[in-house]
Amino acid sequence: MGGLGARRIRAWLVCLGLGLGFFGAFAGEASAEESGFTITASVQDQKVDGSSTTRSPVAGVTIVVTTPAGAEVVRGETGSDGKVVLPVPAKDSYVITLDVESLPDGGSLINDEKASASIEKDAFTTNDKLVRFFTGASASSSTSLLDKILQRSVDGVRLGLIIAICSVGLSLIFGTTGLTNFAHGEMVTFGGLMAFWINVILGIPLLLGAPLVIVLGGVFGYLFNELIFGRLRKRGIGLISQLVVSVGLSIMLRNFYLYQFGGRTRPLDDFSLQVAKKFGPVSITMRDLTTAIISLVVLVGVAMFLQRSRTGKAIRAVSDNTTLASSTGIDTQRIIRIVWISGGALAAMGGIFRGLDEQVGFEMGSGLIFLMFAGITLGGLGSAYGALVGGFFVGLFVELASLVVPAELKNAPALLILVVVLIVRPQGILGRKQRVG
Amino acid sequence: MDLLKVIENTISALIGMDAAYFALAAIGLNVQFGYTGLLNFGQAAFMACGAYGLGMTSQYFGVGMWWGILFGLLFVVVLGVLVGIPTLRLRADYLAIVTIATAEIVRLVVRSVRFKEYFGGSDGINSFSTPFRDLSPFDPGKLYGLRPFQYSGYTLWTLLVAWALVGIFSGLVFLLMRSPWGRVVKAIREDEDAVRSLGKNVYSYKMQSLIIGGVIGMFSGVVFALDRGSVQPDNYSRDVTFYVLTALVLGGVAKVRGSVVGPMVFWGLYVFSDNFLRELTKDQPVTIFGFSLLQKSQVGPVNYMLIGLGLMLLMTFRPQGIFGNRKEMALDGR
Repeated sequence: MGGLGARRIRAWLVCLGLGLGFFGAFAGEASAEESGFTITASVQDQKVDGSSTTRSPVAGVTIVVTTPAGAEVVRGETGSDGKVVLPVPAKDSYVITLDVESLPDGGSLINDEKASASIEKDAFTTNDKLVRFFTGASASSSTSLLDKILQRSVDGVRLGLIIAICSVGLSLIFGTTGLTNFAHGEMVTFGGLMAFWINVILGIPLLLGAPLVIVLGGVFGYLFNELIFGRLRKRGIGLISQLVVSVGLSIMLRNFYLYQFGGRTRPLDDFSLQVAKKFGPVSITMRDLTTAIISLVVLVGVAMFLQRSRTGKAIRAVSDNTTLASSTGIDTQRIIRIVWISGGALAAMGGIFRGLDEQVGFEMGSGLIFLMFAGITLGGLGSAYGALVGGFFVGLFVELASLVVPAELKNAPALLILVVVLIVRPQGILGRKQRVG
Repeated sequence: MDLLKVIENTISALIGMDAAYFALAAIGLNVQFGYTGLLNFGQAAFMACGAYGLGMTSQYFGVGMWWGILFGLLFVVVLGVLVGIPTLRLRADYLAIVTIATAEIVRLVVRSVRFKEYFGGSDGINSFSTPFRDLSPFDPGKLYGLRPFQYSGYTLWTLLVAWALVGIFSGLVFLLMRSPWGRVVKAIREDEDAVRSLGKNVYSYKMQSLIIGGVIGMFSGVVFALDRGSVQPDNYSRDVTFYVLTALVLGGVAKVRGSVVGPMVFWGLYVFSDNFLRELTKDQPVTIFGFSLLQKSQVGPVNYMLIGLGLMLLMTFRPQGIFGNRKEMALDGR
């Protein structure tokens, strides 16, 4: 008992350190939003070239914010990132107008009626409201369907790999402990935010910082188990109650990120501006190609680890039948700890990739959680390899479906997968039947 | 720092509109989660059914606003069946995953530009509650009551209607749970297989419970929409369900009085924390050693952090909440 106490104290200290560190790390960030509410206007030039759409920021465009009645509130010029953050005095309704005269030579908006956008008071779901303007010729449908499908498949493979990396931990945690961890998305966000801290705030190159982020992600996962879920298991608290605790944890962490990081999404410094290379009909940036290859290598590594290594076999054994595994002498608590640590590390890695792919923001992980759930359900809840396969296919399917589904409903097809799988084969592709009832 | 104002706002929040519509949602969730053990994480979608039923009817269908309740009911049944069919035969967490995903998709659909002509996009549907306002027996220009319970005529009218509905549904659920039907669903929560072996159609009972809870949740959306006179998609985000759940657990799961008192206490605490922190940061941010600890813009997230923390602590240390019975919370999915 004494040893356990010491470990718990150590875990609390690490948690405190991490929390304070987080606090210090973003101390300057949130204070940038002095007056509370801001409107961010983003102006991007959209070029449709063959099958790919490239967007580049437009600098020096004047943006004017007025009240609905027409009185000017604030104006500003977009910076080199094509964005301008305009502080507004209160959560209220505004009209944001782009001064067409200030566009660079020959520039025009894709659609003239969008030269001004009005936002309602209630549109401020966070303290910042993003308004986008696009310039350039409107999208032409000159690309063939086949080319589009190929391009989407490439994007889908990339998304699928990221989802697979993020959800390995989710699935293994479910397999070994029975917990459906709703806070797993926050572990992904953690990785993204830590990468932002190291890369943007400290200015350390991402390549050097990424291993540290992954280690921190592992520590984060360790703390989840040591401070919360391990203790709930010990107290004999039911799985549904644990699930609800993870929901609470998710709400708390997400708002902690919002509190410290603010509501804006921001890019990482390294590798953020890249030109897409064309390979036949598809185009991909070197950054995305590299992350996809790394993801693939990592996933193969995870599979090899589970298949070959002693620990990996033990993980699969605990996942299959905890009681039986422990009766053969496997230290199940140790295995569960390992699963949490590696799950946290992988989620953090997924967070870095996601941050490179999109941007870093406080909700970046919670937006992925549905896709992760759909992936592990498709693969088979708790199955060790299910997450890899399922996550991959969900990513691919979602991107391919976006050929027909509007972008704002991009995640809806994942729900379709979820429902169809549950009706047709609830145990998923690789799961076993007795698990579901 | 105006502490008196903080306390006054807190007291009036105990019986305010927010507490009332949360109570309705919590009564519905209690039927599903508390009594039947169904982990519905999509109550917000059922609430949206009611609100959009009203809004769409008065806006587009050209019939009276009140027909909207009928449409709301229709939406609830469709949604309940759609969600229930694939999940109710499976373990509880599947329902949780599917309901939360469905609720999110519903929200995305109603706020999408593609379907703006039906649902009004992110602006929602506005100013349709005139038929309800016209029914008010109170003078809208006059103030009724004494502080902190002082309301304009219209607010008083909505509050009365909302709390009357809370009373009606509390009574109905109380009677329902003492009926044979209630005993069956409670037995399903405890041991599904035992109930099945008695020849009951567990699947059908679960579906009925899901839809009954959804209908009560729908009235929460109706009341909220009538009060605001508008429907906005972002009022039905997934976190709304979780806050309702927190309020329910706080009051006590599987107890009717828990589902009514829980939301009242929840909103009391929330408004207190919110007002207190806003007063604290009104003039300058709170700092420690030059580190800015809390400023005005951060009060919102800090409040929600506290809700999340509260839910975790409640589930761990007092899962029965204020009124509940610990035995009735011993849910285990495996």
